[in-house]
This record gives sequence, C-alpha cells and structure tokens, in this order.
Amino acid sequence: MSAAVRAGWRIGAVAAAALRGRAGRPLSQAAGEGGGAEGVGGSGSREAVERLVREHPVVVFMKGSPAQPLCGFSNAVVQILRLHGVEDYRAHDVLQDPDLRQGIKNYSNWPTIPQVYLNGEFVGGCDILLQMHQNGDLVEELKKLGIRSALLDAEKDQEKK
Amino acid sequence: MRGALLAAAGGAMGGAGGPLARTIRAKLTAALQPTHLEVRDDSPRHGGPPGAETHFGVLVVSGRFAGLPLLQRHRLVHEALRAELAGPLHALQVIARTPQQWQSDPRAPPAPPCLGGSKR
Repeated sequence: MSAAVRAGWRIGAVAAAALRGRAGRPLSQAAGEGGGAEGVGGSGSREAVERLVREHPVVVFMKGSPAQPLCGFSNAVVQILRLHGVEDYRAHDVLQDPDLRQGIKNYSNWPTIPQVYLNGEFVGGCDILLQMHQNGDLVEELKKLGIRSALLDAEKDQEKK
Repeated sequence: MRGALLAAAGGAMGGAGGPLARTIRAKLTAALQPTHLEVRDDSPRHGGPPGAETHFGVLVVSGRFAGLPLLQRHRLVHEALRAELAGPLHALQVIARTPQQWQSDPRAPPAPPCLGGSKR
C-alpha cells in the first residue's frame, strides 16, 4: 500500500468523522480501555455495537469511508445507497478499530465486512444489498424508514417527459 | 463482465481448483445438496499471489433455500464454511438461489473490483 494511498485514507477518515458531525472521540480511542473486543465498555462489546446500530436508520460498517472506500464490497454498498439518494447515514470504518471489527462480526454472527443495518436491524452485506436494490426491496425498506428513494423520483421524471 | 463463473474453478462439480476450493465445494455439496454449484477463486484479483485462495465467490442453487429470505440463505452457506471463514477464507461473495430462480435467471452479477482493503 503506497504512502499516497495511506495518506488519502487518513484524509478520508477525517472527512468521514467530520461528516458524522461528532465533536468527540474517534472509535479507536475506546479500544485502549483495557480488555479485548469483548471487554466491558470496549468498542467491540455488544453494548457499544448496539448503540452504534441504533444511532441512525441507516448504519454501515465498512472498510474505509463513504468518501474513500477501501474495499470493492464496501464501495458497492456506498454506491448503491448513493443511487437511492441516501447520503446521510452513519458509516464506521472497521479498519480504524480492530475491536469494533471483531465486535460487529460477533454481534451479527456474520463473518464479513461490509454490514448494513436498517433501523437497528442487520440486513446483510454487499451481495444482499445488491439483490435488494435489483428486486425493488431496498426502495420498500427505505420507505419504511421514512426515506424516499431517489430512484422513485427518477421514475417520476421519466413519466413526465 | 463475467459470463459463467465456471472458468477459474474448472467446472461445476469436482474438478480443478486449489485445496480450499475443493474443500468449499465439498462442504457446500454436503450441506446444501445443490443442483448447481460454482466456486470461483477471486484471490488473484485481490492482489494475492497465485494459489492464495483468500477470496472466493460461490453460486449455490439449492432447494434448501426455498422459502428462506436472503439473510437466512447466506447464513446457511456461512455455517457450512464456518471453519474456513474463521481461517484462511477472508472474503466470500454469495449468490444463493432456488432451482426455480436459477432457471428463470441463470446469470450472476460480476464481483466488485478490489480496492486494496484486503491487504489490511
């Protein structure tokens, strides 16, 4: 991994933190508080993960950030959400926090990253999100969260022409 | 755009592929009795050396998936490959269809391009 890519990753991570609007501590700071991923209060504990998945109707655990994904599968999730006009969501970069990386896999009993949570509920990874996008389920699930998919507006524009 | 996924693995049932590919094929066959199975080693596309066997894609067509939502189908696949996923198998793309679904649409989407994250 070249230094330029590494630098880009850090900039992306900082940008992502700014976008999340948090004044506070990055996730990785919690990892220093003793214990392992399962430690009480650690960033990978069930309690910590539970808090994260409930933070917002759409929460994604990924490699890299929406501005700069570092994995093709994570990028696919970001691109699909973007197609639906979903840009306001919580994204957590597991590469910055090994405890969270393991903790999220334990929480969902799912072995891989990315992971997508809608309304606090685990929905699946990149493959599932892609299929939901293709079969129309994602539009419906977003509607349940009060999010109107941009694809619906695109269709309406088509009809007007 | 990938057409059939068969190429790298050298065939649907049995056939060529490294030891992990053969293990994956054997375990999925035993667990899910697929009517169609493709196992694709994507590791070379993710920067691994030849024979790395770290990233795989599987296409599983099985009646066992009938009535199950996607999440449950994928969990069945993961369960069959639990040991491998805890070990050398770093990434796994899964397409899980019933025989009826596969018949009406015998195509699978291509794998997303690697963006380097696997080396972390």
